[in-house]
Amino acid sequence: MYAYDTFDHALVNARVAEFRDQVDRRMTGELTEEEFRPLRLMNGLYLQLHAYMLRVAIPYGTLSSVQMRKLAHVARRYDKGYGHFTTRQNIQYNWPKLSETPDILQELADVEMHAIQTSGNCIRNVTTDQFAGATADEVADPRPYAELIRQWSSFHPEFSFLPRKFKIAITGAQEDRAAVKWHDIGLVVKENKEGEIGFEVLAGGGMGRTPVIAKTMRDFLPVKDLLSYLEAMLRVYNEQGRRDNKYKARIKILVEAMGVEEYTRQVEEEWEKIRHIPIDVPDEEVARIKSFFAPPPLAVLSDEVAEVDDLAAKNFIFKSWLANNTGRHKVPGYVNATISLKPHGGIPGDASDEQMDLVADLADAFSQSEIRVSHEQNLILPHVARKDLPALWAKLDAAGLGTPNAGLLTDIIACPGLDYCSLANTRSIPIAQTITERFDDLKRLMDIGPLKIKISGCINSCGHHHAGHIGILGVDRKGTENYQLLLGGSGAEDASKAAILGPGFDEHGIVDAVEKVVAVYLGEREDGEEFLAAYRRLGPDVFKEAVYGSH
Amino acid sequence: MALINLTGIQPIDYTALADEAKPGEGETIAVPVAQLIEENADLFATAGSVGAIIGTETPFDALGDIVGKIDFAVIEFPAFGDGRGFSLAVRLRKDFGFKGEIRAVGPVIPDQALFLLRAGFDTVEASGERKAAFEAALERFPAFYQSDFGGQVSVAHTRHSAEGQRKAS
Ligand code: HEM
Ligand code: SF4
Repeated sequence: MYAYDTFDHALVNARVAEFRDQVDRRMTGELTEEEFRPLRLMNGLYLQLHAYMLRVAIPYGTLSSVQMRKLAHVARRYDKGYGHFTTRQNIQYNWPKLSETPDILQELADVEMHAIQTSGNCIRNVTTDQFAGATADEVADPRPYAELIRQWSSFHPEFSFLPRKFKIAITGAQEDRAAVKWHDIGLVVKENKEGEIGFEVLAGGGMGRTPVIAKTMRDFLPVKDLLSYLEAMLRVYNEQGRRDNKYKARIKILVEAMGVEEYTRQVEEEWEKIRHIPIDVPDEEVARIKSFFAPPPLAVLSDEVAEVDDLAAKNFIFKSWLANNTGRHKVPGYVNATISLKPHGGIPGDASDEQMDLVADLADAFSQSEIRVSHEQNLILPHVARKDLPALWAKLDAAGLGTPNAGLLTDIIACPGLDYCSLANTRSIPIAQTITERFDDLKRLMDIGPLKIKISGCINSCGHHHAGHIGILGVDRKGTENYQLLLGGSGAEDASKAAILGPGFDEHGIVDAVEKVVAVYLGEREDGEEFLAAYRRLGPDVFKEAVYGSH
Repeated sequence: MALINLTGIQPIDYTALADEAKPGEGETIAVPVAQLIEENADLFATAGSVGAIIGTETPFDALGDIVGKIDFAVIEFPAFGDGRGFSLAVRLRKDFGFKGEIRAVGPVIPDQALFLLRAGFDTVEASGERKAAFEAALERFPAFYQSDFGGQVSVAHTRHSAEGQRKAS
C-alpha cells in the first residue's frame, strides 16, 4: 500500500488545520452558513435532512487493517456506531457534530486518510477495480496510476473550481468492475505490441438526468503522457464546459455538444503544447509510487484443499459463498473473498463499528492486513489462502457478514434516499430491504444467477440505476413516492443504458414487478443464459406484457 | 476595497476607462478586452500604459492579438466558483509568456488565495475586512503536488532532489 512521507503528512495536516479554522469561524458566526457552505463542500461535509454528513475518501478502495480500525473508532466515538460504504469507494458518516468534524479529520490524518475533494466541483476520489493487484485477469495494477492522479489532482491550482464535479475511474482488468464507461474520464490499462504499458482513454460518461456512456478518445496513451493528457482534458473542459445550468455542466454534455472528435482534437492540440514539459512527475517518482504496490510475497499453494471441498459438500451455504463470494487470484492457491454488506433485510453498504473491527482482525489473520471496498458497496479481503476459507467464513458468518450473495439479485446497490438525503424523491433503502426479504431463498437466488439491481431515490443516480440490469428510480408523483422500473443497463465492459419499461409503481408494486420480470427471465432463458443476455435477446416486450398485462 | 499582494509585485495603479471615453495623454488605463481588440490604435498611442479587463467567458485565443501590447491584465470573476479565471491566468503565463501583473477582481474568497497565486495571479482586489484572512490563507500550505506559476516546484520533484530527500526522511 502507498505510505505517506513527510510531504504527504504535512499537506494533509495543513488541510485539517485549515478546516479547523473554517469551522471555528463558522461556530463563532464570523462565517454565515452561506459562506461556510463552499468551504465545507471542499472537504466532504454535507448538510443533510437531519444532520451533517461527512464523506471520507478511501483512495482507490484500498484500506489497511489499521485504517479500518480507525473507521470503526470514528463510527463509535463520533457517530451512532456505523458507517455507510458508498458506490464511489468512500465511507459516509451520517451523524457527526460540526464541532467535532475537525477532530475526526485529524484522527483520520493520523492514519493517512482524508476527506479532501470528496465533494465540490473538483476532481473527486479516483476509483478502481476492487481486486486491483490481486486478480488473475489484470494487465497491470491500476493503483499506482490512481495514486499519481490523486496527488496531481489534490489542491490543483487550476482545476479546483470546475463547472461541476469530476470523476475518474481506472481499471487494469479485462472485466470492468470499476464502471469506467460511466465516468467523466475512464482509463483502461493496456499493453501494446511492444510490451509497453499505457491507457485507453474514454471521456464524457455520466449518469444523472442525461445518462451517457463514455466515448473512446484514444486507444493507447503511454504512461509517461498520462498527467499531461489529463491536464489538457481538464483545461478544455474547465474553459468550455457550461456554467449556466448545473444539469448541463458535466463533461458529458460538452463532449456530446462538440462531438468526441472535436473535443479530442482540441485536447490533443493543447496536449501537443504541454506534453514535452514534464508535468510534475519524474520517472523516479513513478518508480517510487509503484514500489508501494509490489505484490505481497505469497508462496504458491495448491488449489485443491480437501478441507474446503469437504465443508462445501456438507454445507450448502458455504458452498454458495465459495461460488459467489470468492474469485481467482493471480497466485495459485489464493482467492479474493468478498464480504457482503447486503444481508437480506439489511441496509446495503452499512457496517457497524464491531463489524469493521472484526474485518480488520480478519485482514490481519488472513489477508496481509489489506482490505478493499468495492463500488458495489461490499468489502473484500484480497490474497486469502484457499485453505483458510473455512475458518474465515465461520467467523464472518457468526458476525452476520457471511451472506453468500455477491453478484446475485440481493447484492443490491441503493443510495441513501429519503432516509437521509435532502434531494430525494423517495426512499431507496426500504425497497432494497423488501426485495431482499422477498428473495430470501438461496437456492432460488443461485438459480436466478448474476443479476444486478440498482436503486436511486432521485434522478441524480447515486444508486447507478441507469447501469442496473434492473434499475429502480424514485420519482415524485403528485406528492407520493413512485418507482420507475428500468431494464437492460450495464456498468461493465459491455456498458449499456437501462430503459424505462412503463408507468411507475408504489413501493409494493415495484417489488411485485421485479418478481414478475425475474419470472419471465426464468421461463424464457436458454441454457446457461444470464439475465442481461436474455433481456438483450428478448427485448422489452415480453417483460412489459408480464408486468403490465395485455389489454 | 483593499489590494492583496500575493507575489510582492509593484502593483499598478490604474483607472478603468469609462464607456466611450478617451484616455488622457500618458494615463494608466484598464479597458474591456473586446474594446481593445476592436479599435485600439488610438488607445495604445495615447495612454501611457494599458491593461485588459478580461471577463471569464473570454476565450483565451482572443487574447493573442493584444497580449503583446498590454502591461497588465484584470480578470473579473462573476462568482468565486467560476474557475475559468484560473485557466485564463494560466493561459496568459503559459501560452503567451505574459510577465505583467495579473489581478483578480470580483467575489473571490480568502480560501482561494493560494490557488490564485499558483495559477499566476499577482494581486487581488477584495473587501478590506478580508485582507487578514487572505494573508493568513497564503501561509497555509507548506508544499504542493503541482509545479506552478507562483514558482513552486512540485513535491514529486522535491522528493528526488538532494534537499528534498533530507526533508522527506
Ligand atoms: C446523501 C447525500 C448525497 C447527496 C446530496 C448526493 C448528491 C448528488 C448529486 C446532486 C448528484 C448529481 C450530480 C450531477 O449529475 O452533476 C450525485 C451524483 C452521484 N452520486 Fe451522490 N449524493 C449523495 C450521496 C451519495 C452516495 C451515498 C453515493 C454512493 C452510494 C453517491 C454516489 C453518486 C454517484 C456515483 C453519482 C454520479 C452519477 C453520475 O455520474 O452522474 N452519492 N450525487
Ligand atoms: S440519488 Fe438522489 S436521493 Fe439518492 S442519494 Fe443521490 S441525490 Fe440523494
